Amino acid sequence: MTATFGRFLILASVLVSTTGAFIAYAAGAKRSPEGLKWSQRFAYAFAGLMVLATGVMEYALITHDFSVQYVAHVGSTQVPLWVTIVSLWSSLEGSILFWGFILGIYIAGTTWFNRNEHQEYMPFAIGTWLSCGAFFSFLIAGPANPFLSVNPAPLEGPGPNPLLQNHLLMIIHPPMLYLGYVGMTIPFGFAAAALLRGRLGQSFLRPLRASLLLPWVFLTIAIMLGGWWAYEVLGWGGYWAWDPVENASLLPWLTATAALHSAIVMERRGVLKGWTVTLIQASFLLTILGTFMTRSGVFNSVHSFTQSSIGPTILVFLTVILLFSVILLALRIDSLESEGRIESAVSREGMFLVNNLFFVVFTFTVLVGTVFPLVVEAIKGKQMSVGRPYFDAMVVPVGTALLFLLGVGPALPWGKVSRKEMLRALLPPLITGAVALIIGYAFGVRNAWTLVTLLFGGYAMHVTFAQMWLPLRQRLKKGDSFAPALIDAQLRRGRRRFGGYVVHAGAVIVFVAIAVSSTMRTQEEVTLTRGQSTAFAGYTVTFLGTEERTEPHRQSTIARFNIARNGQPVTTMEPRMNQYAAMREPIGTPAVHSTIGRDYYLSIMNIQGDQVGLLIINMPMVGWIWGAVLLMGAGGLIALIPARRRTYVVVPESAPTIDDEAIA
Amino acid sequence: MNRTVLIIGIIIVAAIVFVLFAGLGNDPQHIDSPLIGKPAPPFALKSVNTGETIDLASLRGKPVIVNFWATWCVPCYEEHPTLVANARQLPNVQFIGVVFNDTEDKINRFLAERGSAYPTLLDANGKTAIAYGVGGVPETYFINSAGTIVAKFEGPLSTEQLQENLAKALR
Repeated sequence: MTATFGRFLILASVLVSTTGAFIAYAAGAKRSPEGLKWSQRFAYAFAGLMVLATGVMEYALITHDFSVQYVAHVGSTQVPLWVTIVSLWSSLEGSILFWGFILGIYIAGTTWFNRNEHQEYMPFAIGTWLSCGAFFSFLIAGPANPFLSVNPAPLEGPGPNPLLQNHLLMIIHPPMLYLGYVGMTIPFGFAAAALLRGRLGQSFLRPLRASLLLPWVFLTIAIMLGGWWAYEVLGWGGYWAWDPVENASLLPWLTATAALHSAIVMERRGVLKGWTVTLIQASFLLTILGTFMTRSGVFNSVHSFTQSSIGPTILVFLTVILLFSVILLALRIDSLESEGRIESAVSREGMFLVNNLFFVVFTFTVLVGTVFPLVVEAIKGKQMSVGRPYFDAMVVPVGTALLFLLGVGPALPWGKVSRKEMLRALLPPLITGAVALIIGYAFGVRNAWTLVTLLFGGYAMHVTFAQMWLPLRQRLKKGDSFAPALIDAQLRRGRRRFGGYVVHAGAVIVFVAIAVSSTMRTQEEVTLTRGQSTAFAGYTVTFLGTEERTEPHRQSTIARFNIARNGQPVTTMEPRMNQYAAMREPIGTPAVHSTIGRDYYLSIMNIQGDQVGLLIINMPMVGWIWGAVLLMGAGGLIALIPARRRTYVVVPESAPTIDDEAIA
Repeated sequence: MNRTVLIIGIIIVAAIVFVLFAGLGNDPQHIDSPLIGKPAPPFALKSVNTGETIDLASLRGKPVIVNFWATWCVPCYEEHPTLVANARQLPNVQFIGVVFNDTEDKINRFLAERGSAYPTLLDANGKTAIAYGVGGVPETYFINSAGTIVAKFEGPLSTEQLQENLAKALR
């Protein structure tokens, strides 16, 4: 019964989204206000059906209705309620339904926010979103249908993927990632609308930018959560392995970040419209490529869903939207005429161009490294993998260059810059850069790349802070009192600008923390017999013994260690080795002792009787990464809060001023 | 119509789509073993059952199935009855279990509970598993009577899969 109702809802959503897309495109072509009204109704109806279908699935999961195939696959009466609820996205079919659910909410929300605005573009945007909705409904109705019936219904199911039950982060990471991935559909629709209309007006930049920034925030957080999860759970002592699926989440993030920057130049100078639109399209296309990577079973990764039949379907969709984007771009890019031009290379806008260049190089580097094994296999029939050394060698210089721009770009004024202005803007931050360099050196940093990162990082932090509080300082200079100046200059009028620099501050910390944690880490592999101790990186580690624990979904061996410093006990750490029923290799869960400056990380390599092979890692600053990425997300959210009223102030072009909102 | 954009775009699309389509159907978990067609790496390991040392070289002349496993490996529990049943039915094929990262008493308990029909050897320092390039357990190597590796199987074997691979060793 539940299964039948679910199938009915999905079929209805196929019908509604397809019809809605046709109506919306027709309304756009005829510029019909009545048609727009109807396409809005279809957008709401699609969202309603998706929400309802997801509700039906959750109901089936919670009531353990094993006559629904998905519930029979992932449900179990033995697991806690929260596991049952999140098992919606623990397996392929459910995760696609969850995708549809988020897509529905995004479409309905954006349609509603813009219900009375941008009438010129909205029908085309709604048409594009509903076309994507039609594809995902089709996927749910056919190749990945979670609502198939099982007859007779089993009495019990196996429960969801054990890794999902391993860590709290696993509950937050997938939804965040989907909010980021699925959200990219919205700017894609807006970009397609601008191309179909053949123009991109100044007023349309606001929804375009906001619709890109929101999924960007989610994606930023999701990537960090994924790294954190790997660090806390997988036990190899790192947070990023250049795994194809990690790369898949990074690729759209890179192009979206580039687009957020080029959109600023577009807004200020009226140039780079076609380019920004291309980057937005690429961001969406890369999310679909990423979905293909996870769901097709083509790439080897910890994230891979089991071999599934939806790979070809997603690939066909990817091909169609790639062609749609390329043809549309070729047809209309010339009509998104450039109104202005860039006058000087050494200026804020010049730096934006270089920034975009580096982001694109970064994207290509990662993309090539990710698909290269497939290329080799397709052409030569040989198996190979591209590993860390390639990515590190390629990405470190590009990343360092981006950090350099993060400092120099915002320091330079817009427009033509005189030599004197340039030096006055660029020289003072060098002092902070030098201080950061000296502090690092004093702490023992000797790696050249890390020292350069500290120099550029200190420089960029100086510039970021100076720019962040510039509006406030200008107000205070004018004689305003502190509190009103703070609220008005930073949070009311200059919120976008302020948020942008908060993101920059977070990014600088991330750069420095990655460089320091990866080059300053020290590690030791030791074998300890029960009762034996070893001293490493300021702590004494004593092996107390092991304990076996059997849980329904796994068997664990827990090793207990006493950690002491100068003879004083600090804590007890319990790394464990888990063997899951469904996996060929055991998975260790490390134990991490975090302090502000560093993490002390214990991971079991093997246990034989009374002996334990232990990996001890001392990693400075690693915890800063998580915090700094959260700061980036917070900055993005600050910039997103819509301005209650827009005030335009005419200001001289070359000086950085209060109204210089232009950092996304 | 901007032809440059169109042509560059179509080339990129074609390349991406070609590569991805070509990749469909590959199993990325599967790694071709460079050892196939090569002589099996020699080993002489102590049997857990009897305590005597068994040398692979002494088994030349009949097909050998070397199964790497461990007591901490859950899929191995699933596979064990299949191996035991087949070993009993195929007296002309030498089955050998190689256990690594494990302790003798755990192995003995496992075999006492679940039965045994062929020698189980302890690869105490994991050197044999490394020589064979074992990526996970269970993993099974099929060696013909000339001592050449003819097939490798990753994951728990079913009777059909076992016989299919064994046929290559009998050829």
